[in-house]
Amino acid sequence: MSNDVRAHEPVEVMQHVADTAAADTGVQETTAAGVSAATGRAIVITSGKGGVGKTTVTANLGTALADAGRKVVVVDADVGLRNLDVVMGLENRVRRHSLDVIEERCTLDEALVRDRARKTLSLLPAAQDREKDDMPLEGMQRLALELRRRFDIVLIDCPAGIEHGFRNAVVGAQEAIIVTTPEVSAVRDADRVAGLLPHDMPVKLIINRIRPHLVKKGTMLTIEDVLDILRLELIGVVPDDKDVIVATNRGAAVVDIAGSQTGAAFRRIAGRLLGEDIPIPVLQDRSPWLQRMISSMRRPRS
Amino acid sequence: MKENVFVVTSGKGGVGKTTTTANLGVALARLGKQVALVDADIGLRNLDLVLGLEKRIVYDVVDLAEGRCQTRQALIKDKRLEGLYLMPAAQTKDKEAVTEAQMERVAERLSQEFDIVLIDCPAGIEHGFRNAIAGADEAIVVTMPEVAAIRDADRILGMLDDRRARLVVNRVRPEMVKSGDMLSVEDVKDILGREILGVVPDDEEIIDTTNRGQPVALDPARRLSGVYTVMARRLLGEAVDMAPVFSDGIWTKLRSLLVGQR
Repeated sequence: MSNDVRAHEPVEVMQHVADTAAADTGVQETTAAGVSAATGRAIVITSGKGGVGKTTVTANLGTALADAGRKVVVVDADVGLRNLDVVMGLENRVRRHSLDVIEERCTLDEALVRDRARKTLSLLPAAQDREKDDMPLEGMQRLALELRRRFDIVLIDCPAGIEHGFRNAVVGAQEAIIVTTPEVSAVRDADRVAGLLPHDMPVKLIINRIRPHLVKKGTMLTIEDVLDILRLELIGVVPDDKDVIVATNRGAAVVDIAGSQTGAAFRRIAGRLLGEDIPIPVLQDRSPWLQRMISSMRRPRS
Repeated sequence: MKENVFVVTSGKGGVGKTTTTANLGVALARLGKQVALVDADIGLRNLDLVLGLEKRIVYDVVDLAEGRCQTRQALIKDKRLEGLYLMPAAQTKDKEAVTEAQMERVAERLSQEFDIVLIDCPAGIEHGFRNAIAGADEAIVVTMPEVAAIRDADRILGMLDDRRARLVVNRVRPEMVKSGDMLSVEDVKDILGREILGVVPDDEEIIDTTNRGQPVALDPARRLSGVYTVMARRLLGEAVDMAPVFSDGIWTKLRSLLVGQR
């Protein structure tokens, strides 16, 4: 069990952790002489519920951002249950991990794994034989800051849940992307996670695994339904596609599959993340029973 | 000592723990058993939604663990089905609000009052996982024929101490297995080296019924209902074969259904 965080008011705790970590370690975002500024963007990919596609989003968004000319690192924060290395097809190249860096058994360069095809894309793997509580919040924050000095974009793949692993993934990030699917339980967990992020953190939403024919039949929540409940800024919608399963099992990126709708959706999201104005397609109306479900879940926001 | 407390776990999230817990529970109750379903995902509960019982929660498992209510008060009786009860998780507290010893006591009490207790474990291997397995005699490990899910299942199997663990292979897409794009159930069994309790084909029926809070196993006319009945009977120790259900019924139907959608 972790001793550092007793979360009664998780938001305040997170803020407190961020403040104390910065004070204790002398970590500053300003430039010291001879040290490059931490100008990169650190974005945590989170969801609450597992299996909604955090790792797939991290890998594909990272790949698409690297193709857009950015220097990108994807960070696996799922200590003990890492998978980002497998999804990226880099599992055989993993030698060291982020805890080795934090505990000073190796340098950051030794732990980073360069992507096969893309020189500007790197992976920082998680430890597999350790526990999430072993990872100190301060260490993770310092690491994120160092990564922001070296990379334009730092994507942090958060574990499922809202325990220590979640807090670790969030502590070094300045922005968040919440991934959800158009299912009641995923949306409920996304709502919960949105409330646990620091309140000054910009949050964007990806709705993953939309099956248009199910939406049409009225058996799946529509994009509008999800936005009505979550009230977050939508940055992209990704269709459900077996391309993802095939690509994942082969350790390839779905953005590399020619003609894949899912791959194209990730490229558009990468563009939007970089400030490009790319419209998001709109889908159809909701069915009456979903209307009732939504009214019961919706609550007033300030 | 009854050995009737099962934890439904997976490591990786989103593979179908909650759906399996709900439907297996329904199938067991339909076979005449007294069943308690415990949501151990404190802070991110969903079993109540999947069962359609979210509006009836008054007390939860944290209230019980901390002695603020009686066992019966924290249990919600499913009015659709005789013998099915839900013990909801707390939504507002973090998982460290309960200790392993408290969870063990809750499981022990339920074990005496019910024929079967199913504990729906949270994703991951943190405190919530240790709480969920603390009071369990056996484990049902839900996985999918996909690299990440199998890797996490393997990791979980190593953390269950000497508990017996059986596998539910969920979301199998026969047409993808056939085309070589998905591992087969046999592959999964070989990799993980455990007995198979059940195999569930990927079916869009699940999305609809889950969103509505109407578990598919409640309706015998539904395609997947029989799959959970077989799983329930196997859990109860009956020597029921899984294969016929697939080769003659659902398997073929599902294949034509999927092919028809192209």
